[in-house]
Amino acid sequence: MPAPAMTISSRIFARTTISLLVVGLLALLAIVAATLWLGARSQAYFDEVLQARDARTAAVDLRNSVQTAETSQRGFLLTGDLSYLVPYAASKGGWRAHFEMMQRVLAGNPELGASIARVGTTIDEKFAEMDVTIQLKREGRDAEALEIVAADRGKALMDEAHAFFARIIRDADLRVAEGVAEQRGNANLFRWVSIIGALVIVLVVGGSALAVWRYTREIIASRAAMDALNAGLEARVEERTADLAQANEEIQRFAYIVTHDLRAPLVNIMGFTSELEASVGSVQAAFEAAPAISAENAGLSDPVTDDARRAALEDLPEAIGFIRSSTKRMDGLINAILKLSREGRRVLKPERVELGELLRRTSESIHHQLAESEGEVSLALDVPAIQSDRLSLEQIFGNLLDNAVKYRATDRPLRIVIRGRTAPENRVVVEVEDNGRGIAPQDLERVFELFRRSGSQDQPGEGIGLAHVRTLARSLGGNVTVKSALGKGTTFVVNLPRNLPRPSGSTAK
Amino acid sequence: MSHDARPVTIVMIEDDEGHARLIEKNIRRAGVNNEIVPFSNGTEALVHLFGVDGSGEVSAGRHLLILLDLNLPDMTGVDILARIKGNAHLKRSPVVVLTTTDDSREIQRCYDLGANVYITKPVNYEGFANATRQLGLFFSVIQVPETM
Repeated sequence: MPAPAMTISSRIFARTTISLLVVGLLALLAIVAATLWLGARSQAYFDEVLQARDARTAAVDLRNSVQTAETSQRGFLLTGDLSYLVPYAASKGGWRAHFEMMQRVLAGNPELGASIARVGTTIDEKFAEMDVTIQLKREGRDAEALEIVAADRGKALMDEAHAFFARIIRDADLRVAEGVAEQRGNANLFRWVSIIGALVIVLVVGGSALAVWRYTREIIASRAAMDALNAGLEARVEERTADLAQANEEIQRFAYIVTHDLRAPLVNIMGFTSELEASVGSVQAAFEAAPAISAENAGLSDPVTDDARRAALEDLPEAIGFIRSSTKRMDGLINAILKLSREGRRVLKPERVELGELLRRTSESIHHQLAESEGEVSLALDVPAIQSDRLSLEQIFGNLLDNAVKYRATDRPLRIVIRGRTAPENRVVVEVEDNGRGIAPQDLERVFELFRRSGSQDQPGEGIGLAHVRTLARSLGGNVTVKSALGKGTTFVVNLPRNLPRPSGSTAK
Repeated sequence: MSHDARPVTIVMIEDDEGHARLIEKNIRRAGVNNEIVPFSNGTEALVHLFGVDGSGEVSAGRHLLILLDLNLPDMTGVDILARIKGNAHLKRSPVVVLTTTDDSREIQRCYDLGANVYITKPVNYEGFANATRQLGLFFSVIQVPETM
């Protein structure tokens, strides 16, 4: 799966998830708010119902109290038995408490205020009337007492109180019924809020789960694709590596064949040049023996003979000289290529090499050359033993040190510093620094090319040393780079793995 | 070389005519005057050595010394060496392998097949001339058996 598609879907995923979360949160908040509001409402209804019930109870208690008192009074009036007065006394002492309770309960109901006050006085009056009758009865004035009763004043008061109680009770019953209905509505509303909230939450959770599921599936798919890609990549890298190894092998073989085949005719050229030189030698000898004769016949100087003499004594030796120097140079170049190709075909033998020890010994090998020019080598080494090909390492550092000696600055004593240290990724780095004549910036890469040399060509050489060094370093899995300041000095940096990779067998002949 | 009544013939199988001529010159300089029969390819050389029937009877009674290059245009010198050393009439004839290859396995293989001397042609001409001259001196002292 291509990378851009993945980022887009992840952005969509993030957006979807966040909006779903927001919706879910809002739904939850709404449910909580509705619950709180409905709870408060429910509480209010409940309080009202309670209050109504209390009012009803208080009214009934008060009514009972008054009725009990009246019943007790009648009993006493009829019988004159004092024992009938016991409930009356209790009612007379207790009714006010009931009345106050009712008053308190109904305090929030201002329209009843006046009625309550009136019923209070009514009951007061009733008790006053009953007190009078009882008092008269006690004094034996029965007729007067019955007269008061017959006046119906007490009955009227009692009827009024009854009417009031009936109203209060009816009112309270109504309020209770209303409250229950309201509560039922409330519960209904609460149910709906819960159902809608639950639906929203289910949708949100479902949506989130779906998004997560789809996103996860996408991730799994893309990971599988990436794994496949990785596997393919590894296979491709292996394939390319094999191809490269094969190409490298072909180049080595090609170099070997070319040099061999070039050398055969070169041997002929050199050989026959030699023969030619020998022949010219005998012709020269013949001419050198001739001057005496030609001096005798000075007047008969033959232009043909003169030309032949010049050819044998001057032109031919010069031509042969050029052929010789050219073939010698060509021979040198071919041998250089042959040497390189042979090195490339050499099977590396990884072994434990004390790099510090190897560098010390290699630097000692140029001591006598340094002594001539008052030069010196110093080592600053902090390198472990490495697993590598000893011969290659010796050649790499030997070449670098030889170069340092060869291309030293003539106006100052040579100073060489060899530094070694470990580097990340299990590698070691060795720097060979000199204060020699340096390399011009434009030649820095060129010096590693075959047959290329930098600076004044005042030293013998084919221009293969550094090419060789780079080939060796690369075959060891490393590399060599150069830093230089013209006229000041050069530093070659050799970077090597601490463990030479196993030969892949492609170096076979 | 052998001073018997029948002179030794040097059979030179070398595809590079220049090399052949230089080898001949340098051998001659060492004082070897024997007849040198040069071949520039394997096929003609085989006909000369084994006859048209390939039996080798044609060489019976000859005194032969064979100078062999391994890199030939039509076949490898190793095959010629194997045939010579595997032939009843020719197996005693000394074979000097003179070639450019310095591969150690190739050298071993030639000696395994019965080569008598293996010489790698020196890279530069001075060395080459020197080697062939010394080879010529060597030729002048060795005994070559008669083929059967």
